[in-house]
Amino acid sequence: MFEELLEDIAQKNGLREVNTYLKLAAGLGAILLCLLSTSYIAPLFIALLITGAILLLARVDAKTYAELFMVPVGFALMSVAGIVLITGGHDIFWHWDIVNGFSLSVTRESINQGMFVFCRVIGGMSAMCFIALTTPMTDIFIVLRQCRVSEVVIDLMMIIYRTIFILMNQVIQIYQAQVMRLGYSTYRESLHSFASLCGAAFIASWDAGDDLIRAMDARCYNGKFALLGENRPVERFPCFAVVLFLTLSTTVVIVSGTITII
Amino acid sequence: MHIMEGFLPWQWCLVWWIAAIPCLLLGIYQLKRVLASDREALPLLGVTGGFVFILSSLKLPSVTGSCSHPTGTGLSAISFGPWITAVVCAIVLLFQSLFLAHGGLSVLGANIVSMGVVGPLMGYSVYRLLRNTSVNIYITVFLVTALADMFTYVTTSLELALAYPAETGGYISSFILFLGIFAVTQVPLAIVEGIVLALVFKYIVALKPDILIRLNIFSKEQIDSARDEIS
Repeated sequence: MFEELLEDIAQKNGLREVNTYLKLAAGLGAILLCLLSTSYIAPLFIALLITGAILLLARVDAKTYAELFMVPVGFALMSVAGIVLITGGHDIFWHWDIVNGFSLSVTRESINQGMFVFCRVIGGMSAMCFIALTTPMTDIFIVLRQCRVSEVVIDLMMIIYRTIFILMNQVIQIYQAQVMRLGYSTYRESLHSFASLCGAAFIASWDAGDDLIRAMDARCYNGKFALLGENRPVERFPCFAVVLFLTLSTTVVIVSGTITII
Repeated sequence: MHIMEGFLPWQWCLVWWIAAIPCLLLGIYQLKRVLASDREALPLLGVTGGFVFILSSLKLPSVTGSCSHPTGTGLSAISFGPWITAVVCAIVLLFQSLFLAHGGLSVLGANIVSMGVVGPLMGYSVYRLLRNTSVNIYITVFLVTALADMFTYVTTSLELALAYPAETGGYISSFILFLGIFAVTQVPLAIVEGIVLALVFKYIVALKPDILIRLNIFSKEQIDSARDEIS
């Protein structure tokens, strides 16, 4: 019922001490390169390198990493199947006229297009997971403040961040208690249990908010959260590795051009 | 399920970001104004965001067997209006992509438009329409939530159709196809979410009605008559 939050993994991963900007450059650069590539090869290449970095450098458990891909890949396969059926082309393998003006077909071009989108999703997902698994949110707050994002937004983000962890514990406790009392035994029962779980979570979050403002008032809250930023130095090896990765990936994007699978 | 990282071509990522940014700026402007007049609103908004996140990480009991989660945006829209909800949603979507690997960063703009702007806007209009009528408040909450959920998925289908038009029939047949894939499986889920949130509402009315009165969602008379119905 509850996924392990990637944040927990990010707080203790092998690349925790690397400069935040370097990690963001690698992750966001990889996402951008995946989007700009015109062949399925470059996103796959990027996914391969990043997966290597996540498993070997950040030392994330391989099973946890694989599970992250389960749901998105299922969704991607379904949507890609749709794209394959509606994207037309000249080299037709299979064709079905449902009604006049609406037909489904499988063509060489549509298979290429489907494969390309699927690989781009895999590449993009792995790049996003790289940021999620190596950079804790607390580091991203510091980057956002340095980038002069509106104070109100950052404060709101920090409160939401804090509330998530408070609520998560309460919801898990209530849920387990409900399961023990057979709260999810029939469909009707589970709807009621689920609703009371959500209602309890809403009231609990309301109380948590009230407590928070009282606690902050007691500590002279003036509408701005103090945030202690650690400045991690840009070390030579990680910097070199990121530059090498981005150069290699850019080369692959350019060289692979518009190569297709069939 | 949101659009995932890498699914949209970069041109469309850009288009949806451009569409989302004015809504966010309007939301931030309203947020600043609300906070200037009532600073207790900040933790309240924070917990709403936390609540939306927690709701979306819970899996809804579903008839079809497919898993889905409530969006929770309907409740936020009637509490704070659609534009502030857009800001809260943008933050929640960012957390979802970084905490749960749901959604994505380049497609964040597209997801903000569907889940943070169009869905809440629809829910909010229904709420404004029905608030001062004699319609039962549980039915109002049911309609707001179910419609906010439905329109989130209709917009997602539209975003996908615009990026991947069909060869025969163009955008329209592609829209129908994606609507078939996503929205139709979402109809039962949207109804279940509506029922669940109406029950949540009943729970809040019974235990802590002062929250609803303070947020000015419904008048004291409406809440009182709803309490009488329960007892």
